[in-house]
Amino acid sequence: MTMSRLEVQPTEVIDRSTTLRFRWNGKRFSGFEGDTIASALAAAGEHVFSRSMKYHRPRGILTADYWDPNLLVQVGDDPNVRAGHRLLEAGMDVGAQNVWPSLHRDIKAANGLVSRFLTAGFYYKTFMRPQRLWPAYERVLATFAPGGKVDPDTPHRYHDKRYSHPDVVVAGAGPAGIEAALAAAAAGARVMLVEHEHAVGGHLRYAHPEPARAALAELRAALAASDVEVLTDSTVTGRYEDNWLGIVQRSHPVAVERLIKARAKVLVVAPGLIERPYVFAGNDRPGVITSVAARRLINLWGVKPGERAVVFTANADGDAAAADLERAGVEVAAVVDGRDGRRVSAAQGPPKALEAVVAGGTRTEADLLVVAAGWTAPTSLLNMAGDRPVYDPAAARFFPSDPPGNVLATGGLAGDGRLDELRAHGAATGRLAAQRAAAVAHRYQARTARALAVTGDEPAWAADERAPLRRDRHPELYRSDTHGMVDLSEDVGSKDLVAAAREGYDSVELAKRYTTATMGSAQGKLETVNTVAAIAEARGETIAQVGTTVWRPPYAPLTLGALAGRMFEPVRVSSIHPWHEANGVRTIQAGQWIRPDHYGDPAAEVRNVRTNVGIIDVTPLGKLDLRGPDIPKLLNLLYTNKWSKLAVGKVRYGMMCAEDGVVLDDGVTGRLGPEHYLMTTTSSGAAGVWEWVENWLQTERPDWRVHVTPVTTAYASINVAGPKSRELVSRVVDGVDLSPEAFAYMEVRTATVAGVAGCFMWRIGFTGELSFELHVPAGHGLHVWEALMEAGADLGVGPFGLEGQRIMRLEKGHFIVGQDTDGLTLAPSTGMSPLIKLDKEDFAGLPELAWAADRQLPLIVAIQPDDPEIVPEEAAQIVRGDTNEILGRITSARMSPTLGRAVCLGQVEPELAAGGTKLTVLLASGQRIGATVMDHHAHFDPAGERLRG
Amino acid sequence: MADPPIFESPVVRSYETAGSGDLMLTDISATTKWLVRASGSVGAVAARLGAPFGSSSAAAGGALVLGSRPGEWIVLGTADAVAEAVEGLEAVDGADFVSALDWTHGRALFRITGRSAPRMLEKVCSLDWSDPMTPDGAVASASVAKVTCDIARNDAGGTPSYLVFCDRSLGQYLFDALIDAGDEFGLVVGPAGG
Repeated sequence: MTMSRLEVQPTEVIDRSTTLRFRWNGKRFSGFEGDTIASALAAAGEHVFSRSMKYHRPRGILTADYWDPNLLVQVGDDPNVRAGHRLLEAGMDVGAQNVWPSLHRDIKAANGLVSRFLTAGFYYKTFMRPQRLWPAYERVLATFAPGGKVDPDTPHRYHDKRYSHPDVVVAGAGPAGIEAALAAAAAGARVMLVEHEHAVGGHLRYAHPEPARAALAELRAALAASDVEVLTDSTVTGRYEDNWLGIVQRSHPVAVERLIKARAKVLVVAPGLIERPYVFAGNDRPGVITSVAARRLINLWGVKPGERAVVFTANADGDAAAADLERAGVEVAAVVDGRDGRRVSAAQGPPKALEAVVAGGTRTEADLLVVAAGWTAPTSLLNMAGDRPVYDPAAARFFPSDPPGNVLATGGLAGDGRLDELRAHGAATGRLAAQRAAAVAHRYQARTARALAVTGDEPAWAADERAPLRRDRHPELYRSDTHGMVDLSEDVGSKDLVAAAREGYDSVELAKRYTTATMGSAQGKLETVNTVAAIAEARGETIAQVGTTVWRPPYAPLTLGALAGRMFEPVRVSSIHPWHEANGVRTIQAGQWIRPDHYGDPAAEVRNVRTNVGIIDVTPLGKLDLRGPDIPKLLNLLYTNKWSKLAVGKVRYGMMCAEDGVVLDDGVTGRLGPEHYLMTTTSSGAAGVWEWVENWLQTERPDWRVHVTPVTTAYASINVAGPKSRELVSRVVDGVDLSPEAFAYMEVRTATVAGVAGCFMWRIGFTGELSFELHVPAGHGLHVWEALMEAGADLGVGPFGLEGQRIMRLEKGHFIVGQDTDGLTLAPSTGMSPLIKLDKEDFAGLPELAWAADRQLPLIVAIQPDDPEIVPEEAAQIVRGDTNEILGRITSARMSPTLGRAVCLGQVEPELAAGGTKLTVLLASGQRIGATVMDHHAHFDPAGERLRG
Repeated sequence: MADPPIFESPVVRSYETAGSGDLMLTDISATTKWLVRASGSVGAVAARLGAPFGSSSAAAGGALVLGSRPGEWIVLGTADAVAEAVEGLEAVDGADFVSALDWTHGRALFRITGRSAPRMLEKVCSLDWSDPMTPDGAVASASVAKVTCDIARNDAGGTPSYLVFCDRSLGQYLFDALIDAGDEFGLVVGPAGG
């Protein structure tokens, strides 16, 4: 097979004035602008592009397009690039995949010597036993894995995403598809035309006759003058419920790929037909190509595909290929006409080339065999819409049966005809699509509150009155009298399929999975029908009886990058965040929040709070604004304790349970006015509690007059903690008596702080220290923070972060929902039983908690390791003596800077909860340490004198 | 004592700004915003505010009223205009229960203006931005770059213009996401306003 560049062709798409230099397997090559990688290499005389997956047989061009299973190459960091489709770029570094040491001397081709043992199911049968050797098998098999190399250090590139709501999406821009798009647009529809190739035109692009070229020019001009949005090098990859379409746009000026999520009112499926290979001995040999490949090479890229050819043709396209070959100067040594019952039996020659073709017992020397054996109807999008295409043996292909009304087929998929007949069918399809889309649009508008008001009734659903396209007769050509490759992507031969059927895998779905036929890079476009035919032959049935596999998304393989799209990862920051960043913060991500973890030395931050005063940004603390007369009813329902008598200006702690009695969240709620409360939740529970509250109000108690508004980020929240906190707060607060008598623990006031009116101030904290929690309108949060830092300079004020707060709350013995509790922790386990008011009429979780009241439950207790220097891991098991019987676990553990020893909280079985009980803690290292249960949750200031100060 | 406070926007990064452009993104978070909710017999409040769910209207004093959800409105504009629009709402006759709260500090607010604004929004939001489905005056709630937002179309002199509200803490993230989405359309950042 000797390929070379031809003189200028009238239909070629290359720009011969622009030369592009690139490398192929380390050697320098050049091509032209508009070349694909494969066409440039072919023009340079290359005829082996890859090795097959299993047997590493040399492979050359087969279809010269996106589907070509033999043209997967590595381009730089990109594996599995389709060289039949990817346009050549200057500087590309292209290489063959999975060959060693080189494409032309591939040691793994030795597999071919034992091919008789590598039949379908070889891996399943061979590597099952002994099971202990599987790790070794796996290592060896991994070296044979097909495909290119992925460099984990490859930077993430810009993959984009877009939504679209066109009236009509036309998948396929051949003549019928273009006409459909134009007609729909002319009828007023918003139309998106999606073409898999780099340019519109379908088969007209590589058709040499002048009428075809004129038609293409006319269609392109009409398209350019229309409002149709044309996407080339793009594929409708999937059709989902209600015409939700995935469209991958490969060529885009700003993105590597763009995934379009389109909601089309009507989908027109016009992908044309895909020429399928023919199965015979040596059909995967370099030099055996489809008729479309020959015509594409000659007419699009000016590549002479060989010197001496045999053409096996069963249709007009094969005849056209023969004419193109002769015009290109290729000697057509023989034409084997499949319509006369003649067949090609074998392609012969050395492994990397073709020397002769055997047909009807006659051997013809040739370096090129062009095959036109029939078509695969790519009905994938119809399958995805629920259609079950029907096989017509007279036409030797599948046709649509009964797709839903918002999915219409046209072009070669729907039938055959002259060009004008196909165009007319396309135009009629476009008009029908526009009519039906108008009805759908009317319905959408009528039911969408924000949309323009509709007038009149919904238009009637237009009847399908298109004249059907005829079906040309075509011989059923699937396999010759010899065996060959059915799936060139997966190296599955017709013998494999026959063997699979004999082994009992006679269902096409089972045989597919057993042999992996149709599961390769072409995703069945080339091999599905031949697979079905082989199974049918083995079973002695018809293709219609065997049926096909179900084509599922994606229509064409797409990258993970395209699926991932843009990286949208929302992050929240408080209004004080700029100060943190400017002052050496170490942040921690908690959910969406970026929070200050510490500022360099959390232990020092703790000591400063215990001795002076510290401030912490607690903005993420969940906050819900409650308004209305029925708030007490709501609080009584949500919390386990009682709320009817909470006075204005007072704050109360509450614990929420789910309906199974498991602790859901906790926090404090303050009464700001007669019908105005502010509820706080845990930071991580803010969204969930809001949803929980709204669920109760909207579904269970819609008659209650309560409005709940999340105001978490409306307020910057700052906790001022430490023995000097009152002094500090007094310097920035106006109009509030801060004395312990006037503003006691668990009270709330409205205040002006650092000149900011409308702040709320609570006497609460999580550190065990005298604390004031300020909730400041967020737009002034940074101002108040800076005012506190400035006002407290002489008091030793310093910031502290989450880690310092976590240490201090542990010293104080406060549990954290989700840290010290889990999805099984019932409320009594927290040690808060006095707050569980079983005499209330109702609250969420009451029945379960009433049941649990008589039960012995695990309890949260304070624990101190006997060795004060050992801090157990959180989640370390508490076990019985030297056994592994689990009796509890450590839920929180830290080294206390205040006490100079390790302190913990843990959950233990009830019999171990009494103060003084000795425990054994099993560390991750296997070491067992002794620990003691404390009398109180609080390791520090159990009487609470400091926080009430 | 510190200086009298000024409103600090959630958008704290510095951007090169332009006074005009074919597609402009402006931070107007300082705009006064109130949330009004009514339950039970909402007819009286609805009649007073005049913006059914999914639409917007201008109040007499110049405030813009957005019907953001059934029985829920966002009122925005100058402080005086908003105060006039919400004054006395909680005592409107016929309403079963009405609440109104100042949401100025709770919500970031951005304006996107330009012919290509719908194409830009298509990159970050799944709504249908066509004129029939989202006409001038339309109000919707949707995910924008994975952030729950209220969105209102509020054209400026015949040019498509959109107001986008989100939780204040997500403001900086969303502003950057919108800049990224608008980059291919030549988006410029306008001077912050309110």
